[in-house]
Amino acid sequence: MLRLETLSCGYGDMRAVHGLDLELVEGGTTALLGANGAGKSSTIMSVAGHVQVHEGKVLYRGEDITRATPMARVKKGIAVVPEGRRLFSSLTVRENLVVGGYSLPKPKSDAGIDRVMTLFPRLKERLDQRAGSLSGGEQQMLSIGRALMSEPALLMVDELSLGLMPKMIDACYQAVAELKRGGLTILLVEQSTHRALEVADQVCVLESGRSVWKGSAHEARNDTEIIDALLGLQAGPKA
Amino acid sequence: MLFFELFVQGLIHGSMYAMIAVGLTLVYGLLRILHVAHAGLFALGGYLGLLITNATGSLALAMITSALIVGLGGMLVYRLCYQPILDRPPYVPLIASIGVFIAMEEVFRLVFGPYGLTYNHPHLQSQVTLLGLNLRGAEIGMVITAMVLLGGLSYLAQNTRIGIAWRATVDDPEIAESFGIDAVKVRYLNFFIGSGLAAVGGIFISLLSNLVEPTMGGVPAYKALAIIVLGGLGNVKGTLVASLALGVVEAFGTIYIGSYLDRDAIAFAFLIAVLMIRPQGLFTGR
Ligand SMILES: Nc1ncnc2c1ncn2[C@@H]1O[C@H](COP(=O)(O)OP(=O)(O)O)[C@@H](O)[C@H]1O
Ligand SMILES: [Mg+2]
Repeated sequence: MLRLETLSCGYGDMRAVHGLDLELVEGGTTALLGANGAGKSSTIMSVAGHVQVHEGKVLYRGEDITRATPMARVKKGIAVVPEGRRLFSSLTVRENLVVGGYSLPKPKSDAGIDRVMTLFPRLKERLDQRAGSLSGGEQQMLSIGRALMSEPALLMVDELSLGLMPKMIDACYQAVAELKRGGLTILLVEQSTHRALEVADQVCVLESGRSVWKGSAHEARNDTEIIDALLGLQAGPKA
Repeated sequence: MLFFELFVQGLIHGSMYAMIAVGLTLVYGLLRILHVAHAGLFALGGYLGLLITNATGSLALAMITSALIVGLGGMLVYRLCYQPILDRPPYVPLIASIGVFIAMEEVFRLVFGPYGLTYNHPHLQSQVTLLGLNLRGAEIGMVITAMVLLGGLSYLAQNTRIGIAWRATVDDPEIAESFGIDAVKVRYLNFFIGSGLAAVGGIFISLLSNLVEPTMGGVPAYKALAIIVLGGLGNVKGTLVASLALGVVEAFGTIYIGSYLDRDAIAFAFLIAVLMIRPQGLFTGR
């Protein structure tokens, strides 16, 4: 449903991603792995329309959206959970969700908030609290909830587990698994390889802006040493 | 009784400062630009208000019309002066803004003459007695209008979708766009509302002094710039409190140390003193 064709993107003259080919299948979950600075966030943000594409194409459901505005992309069903969550911290939880659903007609907003509350009951008592006052885990839940408010078909999550307590990581991964079961197409960026491999179907590993390994998550799980070596990360317990 | 009277006088001037300063702080919050040309729009409001009132006899009509015209004028300043240079370092739009302000002053001088104009409706200066104080009708009207307009603005910002979108854009414009908020529309709205409020402020100051002149924007604008720093740049509530505080300090200062310093000097001495103690402003964060 999303296809990147020899995508090169970056900032000014600086190139963060070089000639990346990637295809996401409808309803699948793809993990985009790589060390810090590999170009994962740049890839996600270029699909969201915030990072300048130098060469190549972004195709979404067959349509070339390489030059579309971020606003047009959310209307087509692409939503992002950005790195560092980037909530509207002076707004309340409810207001953040309202902004999440801004691209849809107003009546859909309330139904959306109910759905997010079912997925993350923790947020329910905090609806009128300022987003900036939430704990890290709650902020990540809200950032996911905000993205879901736009009723996306493609959800891109950047660094789902970064900086969160283990309990919160579990809760966020549970939510992602549930969304996956609901048929959502997911692009998951992670530095923590093992958690991502548990939920992903497909894997793409980036190094210095280039794709260095692609395959099924099944293959990757049986080959963690190779993946970890590619990433230059410490090998953890095998999944 | 003197105390109460000074306090009320302070609130009257403070509410006028608030009408000017809110627009400035809104622009700063959204674009990180010190919008000096705001003072020119404020003076334009004063001129239009006076001309329309003198022509039609209706102050209400003058206010609504000039708020709308000046609101559109603010959008035009954004479109022509700021939008093409938004990606430059902050001093570039600042210099452009100062240029627009000076140009507007000169246009007023050329079109309306250098000496200033006065209202030809004496009833606008009439006195009323309220709570034992002798106040001018214009003063009471100003406080009520300021409360209604700023209250309306607060309602818009807190309770409507466009208001929430506006605040979200101030927090993180890039992500706000990612959820379908049109940042350009938000900026136009911001300039329209801020400039419209300044126009009403300009009309009230012209009523209080029964004068509009080409340079009328200068002093209130310097004060408003200092107020928004005092209120914590971009912080609307802080700006309101700082405006009222400055009005009250000026009112008391004029009585107690007025023989050493004039009203404007007191205001700046106060602002400098506060900023020396709290350079980050009285209020930080939003
Ligand atoms: N806003 C930016 N301006 C300039 N360079 C950037 C910016 N953001 C990221 N980069 C650079 O782009 C490269 C890829 O970064 P990023 O996509 O954030 O990697 P990752 O998400 O995999 O850690 C890095 O070299 C980084 O320094
Ligand atoms: Mg990143």
